[in-house]
Amino acid sequence: MTHHENRASGYRTHDKRGLSRRMFLRGAGAAVALPMLEALLPARAAQAALDAPPQRAILISNNLGVLPKPFFPTGTGSEYQLSPYLETVAAHRSDFTVISGLSHPNVRGGHSTENCFLTAARNPTASGFRNTISLDQFAAERIGHLTRFPSLNLGVNIDKGNRSLAWTRDGVLIPAEDKPSRLYEKMFVGGSPAEVAAQLERLKERGSILDVLDDDARRLSRRISAADRRRLEQYFTSIRELEERLQEAGAWEQRPKPSAPAAAPDDVTDRAYFFKGFEAMLTMARLAIESDSTRIVTLMVDAFATPAFKLDDTETTTDGYHNLSHHGQSAEKVRQLEEADRRQMELLGGLFTALGERREGGRRLLDSTIVLYGSNMGDANTHDNTNLPILLAGGGFRHGSHLAFKHDDNAPLCNLFVSVLNRLGIEADAFGSSAGSLKGLDT
Amino acid sequence: MNRRRAWQRVLVLAAALAACLAPASHGESPVPAAHVLSHLESSCLDCHDADTAEGKLAIPALGTDLSDASVREKFVLMHDRVAKKQMPPDADDLPDDKRAALLSALSAFVEQADRADVLANGRVPLRRLNRHEYEQTLRDILLLPNLDIGDRLPEDRTRDGFNKSAEGLDFSRIQLEAALDAADAALRAAIADGVAPQPPDTFTAISKNLFAGEAYGEPHSRFFAKESQKVDKPEADDADVECAIFRSAYWPYHGYPRGFVAKRSGVYRVRFKARAVHQMENLTLVPAPQPVPMTFRARAPSGPDVSGDVQAVGGLFDIAPEGGEYETTVLLKKGQTIEYSLLGLAVPLARNVNGGGPTYRFPPLPPGGHPGIAFKSLEITGPLQPDAWPPASHRVLFDDLPFRAAPAGASPAVEVIASDPEADARRLFRRFAASALVRPLPEGDAAAYEELIVTAIRGGTGFTQAMLAGYRAIVCSPEFLYLEDPRSPDSPGGPADLVPLAQRLSYFLWDTRPDNGLLAKATSGDLGRPEVLRAEVDRLVGDPRFARFITNFTNYWLDLRNLRRDEPDIRLYPEYRFDDYLVESMGMETRAFVTAMVRENMPASAIVDTDFVFANDRLARHYRLEPLSGYAVRKVPVPPGSSLGGLLTQAAVQKVTANGTNTSPVLRGAWVMTRLLGQPPPKPPESVPAVEPDIRGAKTIRDLLALHTKDTSCASCHKLFDPVGFALESFDICGGWRERYRGLEEGEQVTGIDRAGHDFSYRLSHPVDPRGSLPDGRTFSDIRSLKALLADSSRQLARNLLHQFTAYATGAPVRFSDRPDIEAILDACAADGYRVRDLLQGFVASGIFRGLGGEHP
Repeated sequence: MTHHENRASGYRTHDKRGLSRRMFLRGAGAAVALPMLEALLPARAAQAALDAPPQRAILISNNLGVLPKPFFPTGTGSEYQLSPYLETVAAHRSDFTVISGLSHPNVRGGHSTENCFLTAARNPTASGFRNTISLDQFAAERIGHLTRFPSLNLGVNIDKGNRSLAWTRDGVLIPAEDKPSRLYEKMFVGGSPAEVAAQLERLKERGSILDVLDDDARRLSRRISAADRRRLEQYFTSIRELEERLQEAGAWEQRPKPSAPAAAPDDVTDRAYFFKGFEAMLTMARLAIESDSTRIVTLMVDAFATPAFKLDDTETTTDGYHNLSHHGQSAEKVRQLEEADRRQMELLGGLFTALGERREGGRRLLDSTIVLYGSNMGDANTHDNTNLPILLAGGGFRHGSHLAFKHDDNAPLCNLFVSVLNRLGIEADAFGSSAGSLKGLDT
Repeated sequence: MNRRRAWQRVLVLAAALAACLAPASHGESPVPAAHVLSHLESSCLDCHDADTAEGKLAIPALGTDLSDASVREKFVLMHDRVAKKQMPPDADDLPDDKRAALLSALSAFVEQADRADVLANGRVPLRRLNRHEYEQTLRDILLLPNLDIGDRLPEDRTRDGFNKSAEGLDFSRIQLEAALDAADAALRAAIADGVAPQPPDTFTAISKNLFAGEAYGEPHSRFFAKESQKVDKPEADDADVECAIFRSAYWPYHGYPRGFVAKRSGVYRVRFKARAVHQMENLTLVPAPQPVPMTFRARAPSGPDVSGDVQAVGGLFDIAPEGGEYETTVLLKKGQTIEYSLLGLAVPLARNVNGGGPTYRFPPLPPGGHPGIAFKSLEITGPLQPDAWPPASHRVLFDDLPFRAAPAGASPAVEVIASDPEADARRLFRRFAASALVRPLPEGDAAAYEELIVTAIRGGTGFTQAMLAGYRAIVCSPEFLYLEDPRSPDSPGGPADLVPLAQRLSYFLWDTRPDNGLLAKATSGDLGRPEVLRAEVDRLVGDPRFARFITNFTNYWLDLRNLRRDEPDIRLYPEYRFDDYLVESMGMETRAFVTAMVRENMPASAIVDTDFVFANDRLARHYRLEPLSGYAVRKVPVPPGSSLGGLLTQAAVQKVTANGTNTSPVLRGAWVMTRLLGQPPPKPPESVPAVEPDIRGAKTIRDLLALHTKDTSCASCHKLFDPVGFALESFDICGGWRERYRGLEEGEQVTGIDRAGHDFSYRLSHPVDPRGSLPDGRTFSDIRSLKALLADSSRQLARNLLHQFTAYATGAPVRFSDRPDIEAILDACAADGYRVRDLLQGFVASGIFRGLGGEHP
C-alpha cells in the first residue's frame, strides 16, 4: 500500500526497514556536523541505472502565442506538410507531434487566460474566479519527492507578481525564477550550514507532529469498531507515506549538490535581448533535467511584458511585443512577428538537439523528457483563446504526425495533460477539464 | 452439475447457516434461509439457475451469506426488481399472492441480515470532515469568520450524490500534508500581527479619481458628468463631478478607483455616494425609473487582463434613482483593489474588423436609455481593527499572556512571553483542546501532545512556535478530522453518549462543530429527550448559519454548483450573453425556495408545484411577470394559468440540466426522475450513442428520439423518464419559455444587436411539442397538466427528500434496514401532506439519524 504510488509511477523507492523515523531524526540534528547520511540515502542512484530512466517534463508557454497561419501545417497524420515554422525544426520531425484543435473549455478573456494555461480554471475574468492547481504542481505532489526540487518554475521577461504557469491548490501564484544565476546557485551551490540546519529543524518538527498523530490514532484505533479501523487505515498510511517524504527531504538537505557542468551564467537583464533570455532559460531547464535536480520544469515566456526587442544585431522591433501581436494585418508587423516566432522555434530546436545528444541508461535524454510548447492564445491579434498552437516533443511518445482535432469544436487541452501525467508515471485519469487522455497520441 | 442437486446443496447449507444467524434486533425470530430459498426456487430459478444465469445472475452460486455486503446487495436488487414488477419479465408469470409471499420472505431475510450488520459494524464508518466543514470548524474555533483555507485541501469526491459520503471522503498523504499546511496557515492568521493594532488607512476619491483605467466602448460605456451632462476634462477637486458607468464587469474592463490598493489584507469599510441614472441622447443623464443593482469585485489592479482571484465582495446593493450614501465592508487581500461591478447591464463588444486591431462597440441606445450608476464620492478605510487587542482569535491560542514584537520579517510577528513555559504550555494546550474537540482527550493522548510541545521548548524552539506545533497536531488528529456514527456500539462514550449525535446534527444543518448550547445538551443527556432534540432542530434551522446547509445541500442535490458550468451558446441565445446577473438570480431563487420549503414547512409537493415563485427584478423579466425592482428575491404569486411554481420549473433546474446550446428531454427527464422524484432510470447500455440534437434546426429532438427508441428494448426504459423531459422542452437552456426551437439554418430568421453589442442572427424553427404520457398511461398536454399528475406523488416526493437527507446527513445512503424507518416517518407526516420541516424533524428523531439503525426512541 505504501508503495502503491511508487509502483504506479514506475519507480521503486528504497525500503526503510531497520531505520526508524526517530533514528533518522535523532541523526538529523547531528548531521550538519557529520554530513554523512549515506545509509539513509535513497538507493536511487544505483537503482536508476537498473530501471528505465525516469520521465521528465518541460512545459513552456509563450503568452502571446505564434501566428497561427505559418505555424499550423497542412494535411494530417504522418503525411502532413511541414509549415513554415515547423521547417525550422524539420530535422526533429520524427521527435515531435504538432497538435491543432485544442483549447481549454470556457477559458476565455484575452490575456487573462495566460495564468490558466496549465490549470484550465474556467472563466478567469468572472466574479468568483480562483485559479486551481497547475499541471506541474499536480505532478510534483506525486513525484516531486524524488528530486531535490519538486519542480522548478522559470520565466523570461516575466512580470513575476502577476503571471506564472505554476499555481497552488488554493489558487496562489508561485513566482517564477527569472535569473539564470539564481537557478544555477540553487541547483549547484550548497546552502549555508545555518540554512540547512533551519530546514532540518522544520522537517524535524513535522516529524514530531506525525509521531504524536500516529500514537494518537493507534490509541483511537483500539477504541473503535473493525469497520472504523478499516477507514482509519488510510490515516496510518498517509502518516507513513508522509514520513517517507520527510526522510527524503532531509536526505536531500544533506546530500551534496551535483557538480556544476559549466560556469555560472550571466543574467540577461535587458529585456530587449529577448532571444538571449529565452535561450538562457532553455539552457537552465535542460541543466535542471540533466542533473536530475527536478523532473518538472515550467517556463513562461512573458511576451506580453517584453518591450521592443532585438530581432538581430541591427534591427529592433518597431513596437513592444504586445503591440506587435495586434498586427491588424500590417505587413511590417507580421514580418517582425514571423521573425520572432521563427527564432523561438530555432531555440526550441536547439533544446531538442541538446536533449537528443545526451544519453542516459543507453537512451537519449530526449526520449525520457517531454517538451511541451504552447500558448493560451490561439490568435493574439484577435484575442482568440481557441485552437491553441501545441507542439509536443520527446518523452517517448510516438511522434512524427499532425494530430488534428476539430477547429470549430476543440478537444480539451487537458486531455493532453492527462497523457503527459500518465507518461510521467502518474496514474491520473482526469485533470482540469479533461475528458480522458488525448486520442491518437501513443507511446 | 445437475441443477436440482446443486440447489439441494444450497438449501442444506442455508439451513445450517440460518441456525447460526444472530437474532434480529426487534426480538423477532430469525428468518430461516431455507424459507426464502424455497420461494426463490419456485419463482426465479428457471432463468437464474447456475446454467441459465440470465442477466448474469445465478442464484445458487450467490449463496445465502448475507453478512457479505455484495451478496446482500444482490438480494436487495432481487427484492426491488420483483417489487417493481420488473421481474419476472412477464408479470403474469408471478401471481400477486405468490409475489407478495416472495417479497415478504425476501424482505424479512434481507432486513434481518442488514440489521445484524449495522449492529456489528455500525451503520456508517468514521467519516472525514470535507474541506468546507474543516474550514468552517477552524473558523469557529479560532473566531476567524473570514478564514480562507478550504481551497488548500484537495477537492472532495462526490459519492451517493454529495460531498459528505463516509466512503467517498478518502484520506491520503496529499490530504494529510495539505491539512498540516492549512492548519498552520489558519493558526498563524489567528495570532496578533503586531504588538498594537495598526491604524487603518483611509482613501478618498472624487471626480476623475473615481475611475482609473478603461471601461471600453467609452464614452457610451462610461463617462464623467457634471450637472447630468458629459464633461471632457473634469477638475480633480470638483466634488460635483459624477462618474457614470453603464456596463457590467466583463473582460475587458478595469473599473477601479485611481490610486487605491490594499496595503494589508483585511476587512475594509467602503462608503460611497451614488444614484441610479439612465443615459440618454448626447450623453446626458436622467434619474433612472428603477433602482440599479451593483456589487464590488475584489481583484488585483492588473489592467484589463485579470490576474489572480476575482471575488464579488460587500454584498449586493440597489442604488436608488434619488441617490444616497451607501456603506458596506469588503474583504481584500494585500495588493487588491475594488472594482465597480454593475449587475445586468450591457457589455461592449471587442472585435477585430477584417482581422485588424481590437475595437469596441457599445450596444445602441435602447428606448428609454442605458441604465447605469453615477458615483459621486468613494471612501475606503481599513483594515478595520478589532475593538480589543490582541484580537479574540489570538486569545483563543494564548489567553492573556504578554507578547512582544518578533524580529522583523519573522512569522508570526509577535512572540508570546511565558513566565513558566512548561506550565503555561500545558494549561494553554488543554484549554485549546477543550475548545477544538467535542470531548476531552483521554489522559494519555493529552500527555503525548503536551510532550511534543514541552520537548520542543526544551530543545530551544521558541514558546510560540512550540505551541503552534501542538495546536497544529490537534487539529490534524483523527479525533478532529473524523466524525463517528452516533451511538455506534463501540462508541467510546457507550450507547448513551450523545456527543456524536450533537456533532451529526450540527454538521448536517450548520456544516460545523456543535456550538456550546448544543454540546451542553448532549453532555447533560437532555438531547436524548425528543422535545429537546426537536427544539434544537428548530433552533438550528432558524439560525442564519442554516444558510450553509441550504448552499451545500442545493449545490449537490440540485447541482447548483454547476450553475455556471455552461456558457449560453450566443449563436442561438444572444439575449443571455454575459448575463451573469441572471445566473446569479437563478441561484438566489432556488436557494430562497428551498429555505422556505423547510422554514415555512411547505408540503413536499412544492417540489413540483406552488402558486408562487421567488423573483427579483431580473427574474421578473425572465419569467415575464409584472415588473419588480431590486435585486432581492421575494415571494410573488404566479399569474393564473402560468406554468411557473415549484422547483421543477425553476430556471436554475433548466440551466443545470441543459448544456448551454440545447436541451435534451432524455437528460432532463432522467435528472428530474433521479433528483426530484427519487426514481433513477436504469443505466443506459454502453454501446448506444447519445442522441445529439440538430442545431441546424432541420429535425426536432422528438424526431431524433423517435428513431432512437424504435427498438422496444430502448423504449421500455425511455418511457420511464423521457415524458417529463418532453414537457420541460417548453423551457430553453436558461429556463426561458419557448414555443419554438431555435436553429441556425432553417426557419424564420431573427436578427438584431445583443446586449453585448454583437450582431446576431438565428432562426425560429419547429414548434415545441410538450405532450406525453406517463408509464402508467396517464397523458398530459403540457407542463401544467404534467404538474397536476406529479403532484399526486406527494409520498414519493417526500420519500425522495428523506433519502436525500439520509445520504447528506449520515454519510451513507438509505440501506435496506432503514426502509421501515423511512416509511414510518412518511406515515407520521402523511395526514398533514408531507410537510418538509415535519419530515426533517421526523428524520432527525429516527433511528437512521440517531444511530443503532432502526432503534426507535
